[in-house]
Amino acid sequence: MWIIAKISVKEILYKRIFIVIFLMSFAFLCFYGIGTYYAGKEMASSGMGNIQNVLANNFFATQFLGIGLYFAAFITSLLAIFSSVGSLSREIESRQIESVLCRALPRHSFVLGKLIGLGGILLLFAAFLFAGVLLINQWFGGQLRVDLDFGQLMQASGLFLLRVLILAAVSLAFSARISTLNSGIIMIMLYIISMIGGFIEQFGAVLKKQVLIDTGIVISLIFPLDSVFRKMMICLFDSADNPISFVSQGLLGSMSVPSDLMIIYACLYGLIALGIAIRSFTVRDI
Amino acid sequence: MSDYVIKTQDLTKLYAGDKGCREITLQVPRGVVYGFLGPNGAGKSTFVRTLLGLIRPTSGTASVLEHPISSVASRQQVGYLPELFRYPDWMTGIQLLKFHADLCKVPHTEQKARIHHLLERVGLHQRGEEKIRGYSKGMQQRIGLACALISDPALVFLDEPTSALDPIGRKEVRELISDLRAEGKTVFLNSHLLSEVENVCDHVAIINKGRLVVQGDWRELRTVQAQVEVTISDVEDEWWASLSDLVTGWKRLSSWDGKSAWLLTLSEASQIPALVSTLTSRQIDVYQVTPKQQNLEELFMYWINKKEGAEHVDNR
Repeated sequence: MWIIAKISVKEILYKRIFIVIFLMSFAFLCFYGIGTYYAGKEMASSGMGNIQNVLANNFFATQFLGIGLYFAAFITSLLAIFSSVGSLSREIESRQIESVLCRALPRHSFVLGKLIGLGGILLLFAAFLFAGVLLINQWFGGQLRVDLDFGQLMQASGLFLLRVLILAAVSLAFSARISTLNSGIIMIMLYIISMIGGFIEQFGAVLKKQVLIDTGIVISLIFPLDSVFRKMMICLFDSADNPISFVSQGLLGSMSVPSDLMIIYACLYGLIALGIAIRSFTVRDI
Repeated sequence: MSDYVIKTQDLTKLYAGDKGCREITLQVPRGVVYGFLGPNGAGKSTFVRTLLGLIRPTSGTASVLEHPISSVASRQQVGYLPELFRYPDWMTGIQLLKFHADLCKVPHTEQKARIHHLLERVGLHQRGEEKIRGYSKGMQQRIGLACALISDPALVFLDEPTSALDPIGRKEVRELISDLRAEGKTVFLNSHLLSEVENVCDHVAIINKGRLVVQGDWRELRTVQAQVEVTISDVEDEWWASLSDLVTGWKRLSSWDGKSAWLLTLSEASQIPALVSTLTSRQIDVYQVTPKQQNLEELFMYWINKKEGAEHVDNR
């Protein structure tokens, strides 16, 4: 298992796409940092920091941080999907896997090794982006700086990283069964459906339409990724039951708060996906 | 310790209902080179991949090195060169062998020496540091051979091991296979290139359309037909019908100056003296009589034709 994990890490680091995404993410952080710095400076000079404008200040501060985290989550999600979705199927399609699986290696070890290797790299990358966005907010934010405590940070980062693991596990489940191309299409569609579900739920909460909220929840059950993101935002801004929550968090925040049960469901979702990946890969013909 | 490294009983793997291999029952003795022969698409690779646990049998049972093929233990001392060999092209040859050595739990202290030895053995000793993407097809097949041998396996499956090699490479692989047999290893050689395996195989099994046609010691199998080449004074084709109690088949090879050369099939090899005396008694001049040993290709055609209901060997 650890040998497969090690070789998976080597492979993903070797591939140029990872370096390209890493450099582009660095560029994203640079631009985000520049934007944050000048926006904070502008707010200070326009008197937005006055006590009378505290609501507006809060709104812009959380929006800036929220946007940063939203795009960081988007980038990590895409990397998680594209790096995991072919991790089994591509090797089967190219038949590279034959010389490995004819060894005395249980197939579940191969899947777990892939998850550990890919998951490890993806977690590091997600942690790098999460920390990057937050540090930019804290160091260059000025008026846009959001007050955060350690407990909030730990909770939020845990949820941010959980998303990556869920994506990797679900991608592996598809990769163990169907072709790389089809798996990729399904994963992207699931990701988009999850985002749309999140927006529908938030609109429902704003408009007080239970049907929309319920629709959003059902969609979240299909793929709970967006719920985890919104829960993370709640954890970070600690405003779940605050009546001015929407004002301070906008559409990227959460008027309709994902429950703890939904997070447990998301964890189970990932575990079941991993179970399916192992089962599918174990019984399939190579 | 069992005398057989592979035992199968009615092993069947079917794709889409009909393709694959059906009810294969065979035993592979320890320490031999076993040729598994058949035309393209006969089901040879399917059979090997089933034995290696890469695909699951539809029915039947099999064991490799005394372990059922469904168990990981059956692959503990096995090496495999796939027919469609593909290796991660971002690795160097040495990295690939190191990876497989790790997978096979070869002690780290032994790895370097073993990798060096194997690279030399397969003729890649100066190319080990190069990336596999820069390797030619033949070099990739050679590194695949090294991969198959990295664990010092007791049983090696080689699926068309010379398909990408030039004549020199083919000769080297034949020598390598002979060396492996001398070391007491069993080699399961999957091939449709009969002339390639003829020189190295002890036992053969012939498979056609997914079914096992025949198996056994190939030197015994090739005595299935007694054939003799004779050069005699010219006779008509129909003339041989008068000797039907001795000669079951005949084929004119050439004719010149009132003589003709024939390939005759007899009921038994012991009938050659009787044939000669019969020819002489009928005033036929006999210039040359050469008992013919069949090669693997003829043996192969004989059994394939026999299985398909042909009356005699088609040794085109």
